[in-house]
Amino acid sequence: MTFFLQNLVNALQWGSFYALIALGYSMVYGILMLFNFAHGDIFMVGAYIGFGVATGLTALAAMGMLALPNWVILVLTILISMFLTSFVGILVERLGYRPLRDAPRASAAITGLMIGIILETGNLALLGARRVSFPSLIDSVTYNFGGVYVTNKKIMIVAVSLALMAALHQFVSRTKWGMAMRAMAFDYVVVPLMGVPLNTIAALTFAIGSALAAAAGILFGVAYPVLDPYMGIVFGWKAFVAAILGGRGSIMGATLAGFLLGFIEIFVAMIFPSTLRDLIAYSIILLILVFRPHGFFGEAYSARLRL
Amino acid sequence: MALLQVDHMTHFFGGLRAVHDYNLSLEAGQIRGLIGPNGAGKTTVFNLLTGIHTPTEGHIHLDGQEITGKPPHRIASLGLARTFQNLCLWRHMTVLEHVKMARYSRISYGLIGAFFGTPKRHREEAAIEAKAHTLLQLVGIDHLADQVVVNLPYGAQRRVELARALAIEPKVLFLDEPTAGMNPEELVQMMEIIRRVHAEFDLAIYLIEHRLKMVMELCEVIQTLVFGEVVAEGPPEEIQTNPVVIEAYLGKEGVESSC
Amino acid sequence: MNTDSGETPAASGSLKKRLRRDLARVPLLAWLWGAMAAVVLERFCGPQLADLLGLPKVPVLFGFLIILKQPLLIPSTVVFITLIYGLPILLVSRLLARPANRLAAFLLQGPLAVSVLIHLAFFYGTLHLWSDMSAYRVLTLKLTLIAVMLTLSLNVINGYMGEFSCSHPAFMALGAYAASVMTLAFFAKDKQFGEALLPTALGPFMFPLVLVVAGAVAAIGALVIAIPSFRTRGDYLAIISLAFLFIVKSLIENLEWLGGPRGLSSQPNYASLPTVFAWATACIWIINNFVRSTLGKALNAVRDDEIAADAMTVDTRRTKMVAFLFGAFWAGVAGGLFAHVLRYVNPGSFGLQNLAEVLAMVYFGGLNSVYGSIVGAVSLSLLGEALRPLELFKWIIIPLMLILVMIFRPTGLIAFREFDVRKLVQPKLNPDHEV
Ligand SMILES: Nc1ncnc2c1ncn2[C@@H]1O[C@H](COP(=O)(O)OP(=O)(O)OP(=O)(O)O)[C@@H](O)[C@H]1O
Ligand SMILES: [Mg+2]
Repeated sequence: MTFFLQNLVNALQWGSFYALIALGYSMVYGILMLFNFAHGDIFMVGAYIGFGVATGLTALAAMGMLALPNWVILVLTILISMFLTSFVGILVERLGYRPLRDAPRASAAITGLMIGIILETGNLALLGARRVSFPSLIDSVTYNFGGVYVTNKKIMIVAVSLALMAALHQFVSRTKWGMAMRAMAFDYVVVPLMGVPLNTIAALTFAIGSALAAAAGILFGVAYPVLDPYMGIVFGWKAFVAAILGGRGSIMGATLAGFLLGFIEIFVAMIFPSTLRDLIAYSIILLILVFRPHGFFGEAYSARLRL
Repeated sequence: MALLQVDHMTHFFGGLRAVHDYNLSLEAGQIRGLIGPNGAGKTTVFNLLTGIHTPTEGHIHLDGQEITGKPPHRIASLGLARTFQNLCLWRHMTVLEHVKMARYSRISYGLIGAFFGTPKRHREEAAIEAKAHTLLQLVGIDHLADQVVVNLPYGAQRRVELARALAIEPKVLFLDEPTAGMNPEELVQMMEIIRRVHAEFDLAIYLIEHRLKMVMELCEVIQTLVFGEVVAEGPPEEIQTNPVVIEAYLGKEGVESSC
Repeated sequence: MNTDSGETPAASGSLKKRLRRDLARVPLLAWLWGAMAAVVLERFCGPQLADLLGLPKVPVLFGFLIILKQPLLIPSTVVFITLIYGLPILLVSRLLARPANRLAAFLLQGPLAVSVLIHLAFFYGTLHLWSDMSAYRVLTLKLTLIAVMLTLSLNVINGYMGEFSCSHPAFMALGAYAASVMTLAFFAKDKQFGEALLPTALGPFMFPLVLVVAGAVAAIGALVIAIPSFRTRGDYLAIISLAFLFIVKSLIENLEWLGGPRGLSSQPNYASLPTVFAWATACIWIINNFVRSTLGKALNAVRDDEIAADAMTVDTRRTKMVAFLFGAFWAGVAGGLFAHVLRYVNPGSFGLQNLAEVLAMVYFGGLNSVYGSIVGAVSLSLLGEALRPLELFKWIIIPLMLILVMIFRPTGLIAFREFDVRKLVQPKLNPDHEV
């Protein structure tokens, strides 16, 4: 039982990364019926921006110009990086997706992929191939709950993720812009006629998705403080699969499937040799998709890759 | 049993009863009409008979063979061809390729021929091509054979659909509003073509049309569909004077002419 | 069209026009002869000329590598390329245009196959002489030919059929491993599979069979995706095939008898240039035959309007299955060749990077077009090699280029063009009204 609970805690943490990233995929899909294949790399960029901001802030603090406790610095890092990364998202939309709004959907997928490669390479060119380590802002404290060990970092990561998801939920269901987004997801064609500008909504969606990815990147940096330019590939594609599993365009689905993927991976790795992790995880996903082609919350739809 | 025999066909889209207890017996060589207000379920009847949807209840027989639930391509190769109300053409293909494509199920050179370009394949393709040209001449667009369909005017696109359907060598031809969007001149030509096709291939034709004049002129028997139910069936003179039809359909002349 | 500003527009315009008219009369055969002449020239005079111009050696890839590595040598490189390639090709092909046209016309009186084979012979001769100069050229050429096969086979699925398949690297991996296991187990002594089970001398003769089996293995793998995918419409295939790619890759990584993450090495040296060339040609020929037949065109019908295709007697599911397995088959063959060209495979070669490359080639060259795939694969392969000195920036320039192509020509450079072999090899007697 403790074994199970212990892994549950780990899986919650692992799943929150996937869930946060998957949200971005799913939201963009909801609006544009397109996948933003650069999203994984936006996660990476977000982590690096977070690294830059955190390093800068700690340096300021060390120089005595900024008398703030470490946890405030972390919160600031998350907020500033989310803000900055959202512009990366807007840029990607503007350069890679908007010009291709009427093009075949596959072409936009290709531009997304290519932007991803540019982001990776750009990062590599700027910072070099060495891995950078994320400054440790909070000291790890381990609590023992009847044999289940939980670090304060894990609690923080899961709590922040859940808070962000709750905030997103509030946003899409309460605010005018959020409702416009949902309307757009419901009907791409009609809403622009109703005076809601598609371009603004699309940019907003990319911005929010990217901000969430940045948060995931920083939280990842807190948990596993080594960043490398290719970290977005593996995480991105897996989160993409989670978004599909949740049901394209479904925010709820993406969240749940993100966590589910985390659970599958952690438990597979516990039971089987860890090299089998991807094999088993993807086989499970493949099976689920064979029997539920539209994922958990997706609706039957018939969008085609139009040429 | 008639060439195309439909018994007690009913279809639901979710909770919507689109077609209810529909019966039909279409004899060989007959021209029949199906009329009804917008959304009455006429296209749905076609979709059910051609296998695009499977009816919730009922049986369909073509030439004595049960075709209910068969996939569309099987039904089509058994001799039931159709055109589409909203033009379902292949946007990147030429007119000639459209007509040749409808010979798909009769191609016998197989994958070997396709991969290796055997002499048999070349002979067969040449034969199909000749046949396609004949059909294009029949509908009067042979000079457009090498054009990509999206570049063609609307009337020509409708003719492509017709030629394509004829290439199946059907026993029964369904035409879903073949003159929609045409000007009076094109309309007359289309009627002429339909007559010619009917005479030449001895087809049974089942026609959905909003222009009553045309239906009355062409068809031997007309069915009227309202909310998925046949409210009247009979020869044109009878339909024209049927009070139910007049109430349900002819009374809405204004709606009809506006579309 | 850019009209020359300044000077005498009329004169230069007419000169250009004349040149264009002259060149329009040059048939493929003459171009091949020109290229052959250039290659022969390079073989005999290249080293001396390079010496004379102060180049360290004969520019190995049309001077691109030198230009980027040592900008100071640009003038000499340009002179070299002009003297060895540019002028001879232009001159010879222009001068021999007339006899070449006559020969081409004569050849076309016989069966098309004869004419095509003769063209291919000249083409291969040129490639052979060109690549003979260095091992690097041979390798680049082989990999380019393999890239053509991969691109073309993916175009069948993503272009002609209009689905989005992500599993091409997986099919390639299946083919590569299947072929490697066969050759290593049967025809070679190695540490993984021990003694050769069959006489080693048999190997080269059985290699075609090995490749066909490798393709078949890939096609069987494709069946796993095809069965669930083609029940549902939409971009379902994209996701299923992506999962399949990950599964195949990690499966191979976990199978110790396949060498695990280390892979398999020391495959016998069967994939010589003629072998690769022959297979690439066969691939282009067969795929082109297929996509131009009515059975193959059914793919376009299914892509453009599946319901209409179904209503016109096209068995859509069968059509999609056949095309998907067909594409996978060629990816498998290409994989088998790839393993024997590098004589080393590991799971790392068949990942997302590889996927991005093949997709880039398909979409850059142009969807639904054999020409496009050839152009896309060749240009991106060569560009990849040429930009190698730029290291990292290569991976910024190529993606940027592709993004621009997508924005301005969303279906690629040469999309929706038929590859008509007869037109290609026919004489160009009268450019104004071509036959
Ligand atoms: N695939 C479908 N799913 C759900 N409802 C459908 C579907 N196809 C048609 N319907 C509904 O069935 C009803 C009948 O539609 P149908 O297209 O058959 O009408 P119609 O008589 O052909 O009209 P029109 O004259 O406009 O062509 C309509 O209410 C339509 O909304
Ligand atoms: Mg209708």
